[in-house]
Amino acid sequence: MNKLLGVQRLLVTWEIGSSALQFEIEAKRDGAKSIEAEHMLLALTANRDTDAAKLLEEFGLDHERLTSALREEKNRTLAFAGMKAPDEKLVEATELDCSLSLGTSAKAAIKRALIGSRHDRRRARLRSIDLLAGILEAELGTVPRALAIAGIDRAALSSRARMSA
Amino acid sequence: MSSSREPSPIGGPADGLAAVTALRAMADRLEDAEVERALRAGWSWSQVAEALGVTRQAVHKKHLRRLLMAQIQLRRRAGE
Repeated sequence: MNKLLGVQRLLVTWEIGSSALQFEIEAKRDGAKSIEAEHMLLALTANRDTDAAKLLEEFGLDHERLTSALREEKNRTLAFAGMKAPDEKLVEATELDCSLSLGTSAKAAIKRALIGSRHDRRRARLRSIDLLAGILEAELGTVPRALAIAGIDRAALSSRARMSA
Repeated sequence: MSSSREPSPIGGPADGLAAVTALRAMADRLEDAEVERALRAGWSWSQVAEALGVTRQAVHKKHLRRLLMAQIQLRRRAGE
């Protein structure tokens, strides 16, 4: 678990533990080579019992809507370069059966989550709501782009997440 | 207009930079699929490498483990 999160001596709550395997499921479903912030955000919406999922739902973001926002972001981004997303069958390949590592955006989100947490950092305990705040505090990249396209007030959502954390 | 301190995640340079990332990811996925397709069709590692414009060692290192899992009958060199 800690190995997956790539952070040594990091204590995690059960709700993050239950989402962690989902990080990888979301990344593989996306055909990604590493777990990025958008995959962690999708994973947080997959377990609706978490505080993070409940807050996201308040802002109208469930797994389906977030998936759709991320797809729209990808389509718009590729369109900028005159391309469109390829047919999934065209890029279907055998997957390497091993754990994916955390990508840069995911590591940065975890770091922000811990730094911004009100908890004693020596005993940092990562909760879903901390992680959500860490993900939302990115100013650039796929997550803020997708949320902007979906018309979500990221600043308000981020602030609520940090207040709850 | 956003200041240079807080650029918008949408529009301007953000769109172009995001496109770079998206195209890289797409190219990676396409490479995985096409290398596998070529080897399934009986191409050798050398032929795949030549077509991609990289060394045989490079393509081997990047794809061998994954393709062994795919249980493809792999040829070692062209003509063998």
